[in-house]
Amino acid sequence: METILNLNNIHKSFGEKRIHQGVNFELHKGESLGLLGGSGTGKSVLLRSIIGLEKIDSGKILFHDKEVQGFTDELNLSKLRLKISYSFQSGALFDSLNVFDNIAYPLFEHTKLSYVEIQVKVAQVLKLIDLEGIENLMPSDLSGGMQKRVGMARAMILDPEIILYDEPTAGLDPANIENVVSLMLKLKERGQSSILVTHDIPAAIRFCDRILILIDRKIYFNGTVEEFTESDDPNILKFAQGQAKEAHHAS
Amino acid sequence: MSQPGTNEIELPEAKALIDRFYDVGMMVYFFATIIKCTFSRPFYFMRLVDQIRALGLGSISITIVIGLTMGLVMTLNFGYGLAKFGGVLYVPAVVSLSLAREMAPIFTSLLVAGRIGSGMAAEIGSMNVTQQVDAIRALGTNPVRVLVVPRFWSAVISLPLLTSLSCFLGILGGMVVCQNEFGMPPGFYINKVLDTVMIHDFLSGMVKSGIFGAIIAIVGCWRGLATVGGTRGVGESTTWVVVTSSIAILITDFFISKIFLLIWGH
Repeated sequence: METILNLNNIHKSFGEKRIHQGVNFELHKGESLGLLGGSGTGKSVLLRSIIGLEKIDSGKILFHDKEVQGFTDELNLSKLRLKISYSFQSGALFDSLNVFDNIAYPLFEHTKLSYVEIQVKVAQVLKLIDLEGIENLMPSDLSGGMQKRVGMARAMILDPEIILYDEPTAGLDPANIENVVSLMLKLKERGQSSILVTHDIPAAIRFCDRILILIDRKIYFNGTVEEFTESDDPNILKFAQGQAKEAHHAS
Repeated sequence: MSQPGTNEIELPEAKALIDRFYDVGMMVYFFATIIKCTFSRPFYFMRLVDQIRALGLGSISITIVIGLTMGLVMTLNFGYGLAKFGGVLYVPAVVSLSLAREMAPIFTSLLVAGRIGSGMAAEIGSMNVTQQVDAIRALGTNPVRVLVVPRFWSAVISLPLLTSLSCFLGILGGMVVCQNEFGMPPGFYINKVLDTVMIHDFLSGMVKSGIFGAIIAIVGCWRGLATVGGTRGVGESTTWVVVTSSIAILITDFFISKIFLLIWGH
């Protein structure tokens, strides 16, 4: 399998607080990785580092063998972020723009499509996320689950090579979790590579091909979903129980 | 306390001072980034028009109140003050000159700083704490180009126009008071104003207010982008911006006035 993203010996700290100490993993083309770990273990920081929103202290992040941290100028960072998109935990929709303008934002910025072509494309994406006809609503008119799905639509509209999902099911009711996971599975069927950061183990098991677990600032476990579910490693069992409790409290 | 042989500074006052210098340095760098982004693609012309509409046109009502009030109050006070010495005839000259050179730019800028400076910090700060600024970056665009450059230029363009309006209304208010309180004919008042206020007096006020507009936008947007800590952080940022930009306007005013006096004389 072709490796499209390679994280090599990543170190990151905020002041005195060390977040990552030698994180290594690879993402292959068409693969879905689940990145699990307790709260505050730096899962989201890792995602942000991949698209250059955070600067790592040392190590290498290679996208198609090119070092991401070397992308310091605006043009190269922009090109990288068109190929790797980020779906934010809160959706991070622009609250001054309606749903249409939010989803169309990357198209207006990075393509030369006509307004009519953009309208068609936005309508197609809204159909894919089962939210047709909400183009004129403002983000404040949407539920949390709808905001996340619109955020995901915005992240996928330029058809990136990789989508980074930051806790897409956090804080959602079971029906909305199902909607979000179904959408991610639809995108996976289209061959999209992805990294899913989540506390939601059932969602990760349904969606991911491989599971990574961050413990003590390093990747403690890197294996298939079967290896994860069948593991009798006490640390993984303890972690899974902790996550189940955390998910229960969150719900 | 700092220990001999170490570079650590633990005095809170010293740290606060260093922080202020750091802030000033960062704002100078931020200004350079704004200028760089202004003269390179992509441009967001429609966003600039929107901002001029929101910041400039939206500040007209407050400007009308400031301008008229300044003219009315100054003329009343100068008029009765100078009347004791038989100097009522000098009121149009004193009022118009102080409005054109100082009062209109300063008062308009200070009140607009409260309105648009805090607005910029609140809007951009809220976007920052809700990850919308990160989303702008993650979608391959630059928040300085998208958010800051249009606000910066709208402030630089709008402030001189608002100051002109404020100055005109102040002089008009002065004319009304002079006529009603001191029986001065409007024709005499206007002639005195036109004889006194030279084009460079008016221009110095315009240039000043343009610079004050730049200060308000830099302080407001920079702090907005640096906002952390949720809604509380947004509140702190807006307060900080109003205080800092007001102080910066007052200090800068002294130096600009000095420079203009050196260029054009007294």
